[in-house]
Amino acid sequence: MTIHFKPGHLTTGLFALALLGSTALGAMTAQAADQEISWIYCGDKIDPIHEKYIKEWEGKNAGWKIVPEVVGWEQCQDKATTLAVAGTPVGMAYVGSRTLKEFAQNDLIIPVPMTEEEKKSYYPNIVDTVTFEDNQWGVPIAFSTKALYWNKDLFKAAGLDPEAPPKTWAEEIAIAKQIKEKTGTAGYGLPAKTFDNTMHQFMHWVYTNNGKVIDGDKIVIDSPEVLAALQAYKDITPYSVEGATAYEQNEIRAIFLDGKVGMIQAGSGAAARLKDTKINWGVAALPLGPSAKGEGTLLITDSLAIFKGTGVEEKAAEFAKYITSTDIQHEYELQGGAGLTPLRPGALVDEFVAKEPYWKPFIDGIAYGGPEPLFTDYKGFQNAVIEMVQSVVTGKAEPADALKKAAADLEQYK
Amino acid sequence: MSVQRSTLIFAWILLLPAVLYVTVIVAYPLVDTFILSFTDASLKKTTNWVGWVNYEKIFNATFAEVIMRTFVWTFFSVSIKMIIGVFGASMLNAAVPGRALFRVLTMPPWIVPMAIGIFMWGWMYNGQFGMISGLLQRFGFIDGPVAFLAQGSTAFWATIITDVWIGVPLVTLYMLAAMQSIPQDLYEAAWTDGAGRFYRFRRITLPLLIPSLITMSMLSLIATFNSFDIIWILTRGGPSGETTTMIIDTYHTAIGSKKYGEGAARAVLICIFLSIFCLAYFRVTSRLSSGDNR
Repeated sequence: MTIHFKPGHLTTGLFALALLGSTALGAMTAQAADQEISWIYCGDKIDPIHEKYIKEWEGKNAGWKIVPEVVGWEQCQDKATTLAVAGTPVGMAYVGSRTLKEFAQNDLIIPVPMTEEEKKSYYPNIVDTVTFEDNQWGVPIAFSTKALYWNKDLFKAAGLDPEAPPKTWAEEIAIAKQIKEKTGTAGYGLPAKTFDNTMHQFMHWVYTNNGKVIDGDKIVIDSPEVLAALQAYKDITPYSVEGATAYEQNEIRAIFLDGKVGMIQAGSGAAARLKDTKINWGVAALPLGPSAKGEGTLLITDSLAIFKGTGVEEKAAEFAKYITSTDIQHEYELQGGAGLTPLRPGALVDEFVAKEPYWKPFIDGIAYGGPEPLFTDYKGFQNAVIEMVQSVVTGKAEPADALKKAAADLEQYK
Repeated sequence: MSVQRSTLIFAWILLLPAVLYVTVIVAYPLVDTFILSFTDASLKKTTNWVGWVNYEKIFNATFAEVIMRTFVWTFFSVSIKMIIGVFGASMLNAAVPGRALFRVLTMPPWIVPMAIGIFMWGWMYNGQFGMISGLLQRFGFIDGPVAFLAQGSTAFWATIITDVWIGVPLVTLYMLAAMQSIPQDLYEAAWTDGAGRFYRFRRITLPLLIPSLITMSMLSLIATFNSFDIIWILTRGGPSGETTTMIIDTYHTAIGSKKYGEGAARAVLICIFLSIFCLAYFRVTSRLSSGDNR
């Protein structure tokens, strides 16, 4: 039997669930008024660059108003989703690109196709992060990549060349071992907490070994490339920060900022923080696995998704493209300290990298980088990968077995 | 209109706000969740009636483990809270100098916003910067840093300890109030007969505390069984799902994976367990009060 969707019915059910789960689904009253484009904006405040260009766009488009609503990162995604499911979608929302597939499959958002020229304006592989069934479903607005940071003083104390970061996984594991054995300090910071970035960190290893998790609709995680990544995780664990499953990426970064770990994978935001410490640090491209074709990293983008059923879809898409157009986007990304990697190349980016050379590895890794895998049940996929990683780093499973189990589990989430 | 009839109408008018409140805020969402639990509601715009499928799905081996873990977690948490609470109340009830100050000092875990208290414990459990690992290393009990939230076994107890820390002040104050209502002349008579401190506690305090102990245990049981914040902030149910309780699992399913139908079935199950606890609570309290009346 098919029940036609009743917004009120589901909304109330969700409300009860929310009470039990202590989540916030309370604010369900936001509605797009005529000539208004509501925008769920993730963060603590609207970026001044965006504020400036919202005003400029409104000036050029008389009768239209952008109505941003600032929502904290933790609730941002849930709020946009809940409003859409309850039948009161916002005009536009800032979402992780990983969720675009499930939004698209459930007919909640409209495609925002890119012209060939628009596609070419981005760094390679960026457009893949918003593409599903040959169509683009969001407009990228934020981007992050990772590189390897190392503590030169710890390298020196361990008898290593402080100016020679590892280039391969084998070197990275050997260096981590030497640091641990010679200094007693952890050689590597491996985050494996029950947290989304545990999966992200593992994906950096997958993409630096030419691996993949899903190809179209086929789960391909059980491959020699991914197995090598998982084996490397097992091999580096003894020389990593004790109790990997207690730490997420930012907690590991805090340990690095305290000088208590030799190497970590982190975004450009770590560099801004390191400048305020006495740590003698360096940053290089992520080390490569045996099957790598070149420097890689996980490409994480956030996008502006245009929700269906608001009556302002066309104008919202137009605004999304405007606010992410090359010049505005560069101005937004290159403010420094925000930890955003530029989405597109350009003279401004070259100038920025020349001034701040530590940015280079974050951009070089894009060439062989890969997107967050798009799954119908993204959280299911994420949890399966976290479970796989945790079972290996805690010694509960061998990499091959853990990988087979994860491959089987992922079938239900694709 | 008879006086009796007008009294009845007046009573219903007085009750109306409460009835409306319960209907809108409690009854309707509950009924709606119950209906939702028989559908495959998700992000899709249409939902299908799937009968008992969601309930069949949750009774797999993993969920049985989650149910068992929830009961074990609740049992230890409530038991420890009750033991420490009664002990603490006895201490605070003793005629010692500075008693008022000690009473005030029991309050901070209750006064501090829960999330802040939990984050504080999260840092104390941290292997690198945490106070507990640091102290154990300093006194030579452990060789290197230990992250208490890294292993399932330690993380499970760490979450219980945090729950106990938050819950003990309420139990202590409740028990203290109960102890203070025990007539002093009973103790004086026992003391005159040569009864020792422990004997007086065993034969006077404890028996007279039983109604309060049962009431508090039941209330604590209900709150602890449904506790979300502590586990979510400290471990999010990890590592490897070893601190995942029913409420965490429900959140993962309904909000994380957006399987609203399946999540609703889990929520209904939690409601059933909580209803059983509530029924037991009302039964026991009604027996106790009828006992008082005899």
